[in-house]
Amino acid sequence: MSVADVVTSDARGATPAVTVDAVSKVFNAGTANQVDALVDVALDVDAGEFVSLIGPSGCGKSTLLRLIANLIEPSAGTIHVNGKTAARARLDQEYGMAFQQAGLFDWRTVTKNVELPLELKGWDKQRRAARSREMLELVKLDDFANHRPWQLSGGMQQRVAIARALAAHPPLLLMDEPFGALDEMTREHMQAELARICNETGTSVVFVTHSIPEAVYLSDRVVVMSPRPGRITDVIDVDLGRDRDDDTREEDGFYKKITEVREALRRGGHETTSGEPLGVDDR
Amino acid sequence: MNATVTVRARRVADAVWPPALFGAAFVAVWEGAVKVFDLKPYFLPPPSAIWREFVGNLSLIRDAAFVSGGNAFVGLLVGALFGIAVSFALMRFRLLNDMVTPLAIALNAVPIIVLVAVFNNMFSSTSEIPRRLMVTLVVYFVVLVNVAKGLRQVSPIHLELLRSYAAKPVEVIRKARIPNAVPYLFTALKIAAPLAVITAFVAEYFGGPQNGLGSRIVSNIAASRNAVAWAYVVGACLLGLTFYLISILLESITRRRFGGDDSRGSGPGGGTT
Ligand SMILES: Nc1ncnc2c1ncn2[C@@H]1O[C@H](COP(=O)(O)OP(=O)(O)OP(=O)(O)O)[C@@H](O)[C@H]1O
Ligand SMILES: [Mg+2]
Repeated sequence: MSVADVVTSDARGATPAVTVDAVSKVFNAGTANQVDALVDVALDVDAGEFVSLIGPSGCGKSTLLRLIANLIEPSAGTIHVNGKTAARARLDQEYGMAFQQAGLFDWRTVTKNVELPLELKGWDKQRRAARSREMLELVKLDDFANHRPWQLSGGMQQRVAIARALAAHPPLLLMDEPFGALDEMTREHMQAELARICNETGTSVVFVTHSIPEAVYLSDRVVVMSPRPGRITDVIDVDLGRDRDDDTREEDGFYKKITEVREALRRGGHETTSGEPLGVDDR
Repeated sequence: MNATVTVRARRVADAVWPPALFGAAFVAVWEGAVKVFDLKPYFLPPPSAIWREFVGNLSLIRDAAFVSGGNAFVGLLVGALFGIAVSFALMRFRLLNDMVTPLAIALNAVPIIVLVAVFNNMFSSTSEIPRRLMVTLVVYFVVLVNVAKGLRQVSPIHLELLRSYAAKPVEVIRKARIPNAVPYLFTALKIAAPLAVITAFVAEYFGGPQNGLGSRIVSNIAASRNAVAWAYVVGACLLGLTFYLISILLESITRRRFGGDDSRGSGPGGGTT
């Protein structure tokens, strides 16, 4: 590791990965179908930290993620990513993004899909190919580099999407239910892979999910949200250590945290609407 | 490798023999019916007579096929180019799109072929331009509607991803819109190719130079040479089939390159309505 590397990683430690300050988002303001998607939300994500957003459907998880990504603008408040404004951070490709659907480009091979963000950064061909190979090894898909996306299973496609999101080595990863469409086995496998990759690369993550165990397994902190209006009702620290594997899922501490998050969700749900289903899995 | 070739050959053979058998049976019944019921040649000539005339007039039929086929081809090419160009303009200017697209879709349901009479009036009677113009127009609308749809209907996830990569508008067009529209273009061509040949034939019924398959059919019927007219009909069928096969070939190539997703490849086919 060179001196420059040490300095940057130190600098990373100093600036939080994400700062959300007093942010509100109103859709269709002033019309009959006005929606207060988020009201006065504050959230800090430290560098290298893994934070999950969990909450019933419609509580504004995706909205918060899209605000951080600068895909939409806040109605009030400020958002910073890595010390830059959200807009600047997007232009500098400070984050990678993955959604519930892999969203691969059918007309590109797997490698070319991973290379797309690098093409747009203006990297030359050789450098792109080298990085794409590296990323595909990371998600264990190097044998499928020249396949077309539709020739892969859903779980493999999702891994390509994650490789693509990580390709530019962004310091921050934004993920919106990336494993939502996967079966339970693949899902647990992908969670372990993601935990390993983020540990290896020191990437900070904001992760939206509907699954309590998934949130607890992956996160340093679980942020519990509640709808109408969308807001943060609880933040739960998950102190299970950084190295998590399949054994983590068996630990007593793991179950305790799951219960804690579930109760926080219940509280949040009861404050607004009683008796309505929470829309969150216990899986 | 060899095994897959044999398998494919077997599949093609399996697909071909039923219609081939049916066709042969149909021709046999036709021949038999003409003999048994003693149908007069001016009513229905027997296939054997049509075949004799087809072989006897082969070079004439070929020349006529080149004229009609040339008209169809030129119209197909020019119409497709114009259609592509204008669909880019529609993508760029939303208002224009809102004005033109409904019109283009409506025009697809109108028999604009009748315009050829008007075009014939505009140019000299020896000109091929009215026919080519007609084919161009028919192809143009089919290509326009489909390609414009392909350029516009890009998956929202792709657009968000590109925005997250800070892609410039030109890059969004190059990386997402154009590749997305390619299968739509080939679907449009698959619809337009047979339409172009049909239009080229029918346009000949409205006058103009007497050198294409369509006009030869008309003139031979007028001269009571029914079997010869039928021989030209056979030529017309073969030409139409050629255009159709070429367009299918093009489509299967792009499908292999651009995705095995049938829903998208054939989806825009309904786009003309
Ligand atoms: N573009 C938009 N226009 C209008 N309303 C919107 C828009 N996007 C989101 N909303 C509204 O904002 C609220 C929050 O939506 P959001 O998608 O952030 O919820 P979510 O927590 O991600 O839900 P889910 O778990 O179902 O994905 C919802 O009431 C939704 O209807
Ligand atoms: Mg959502």
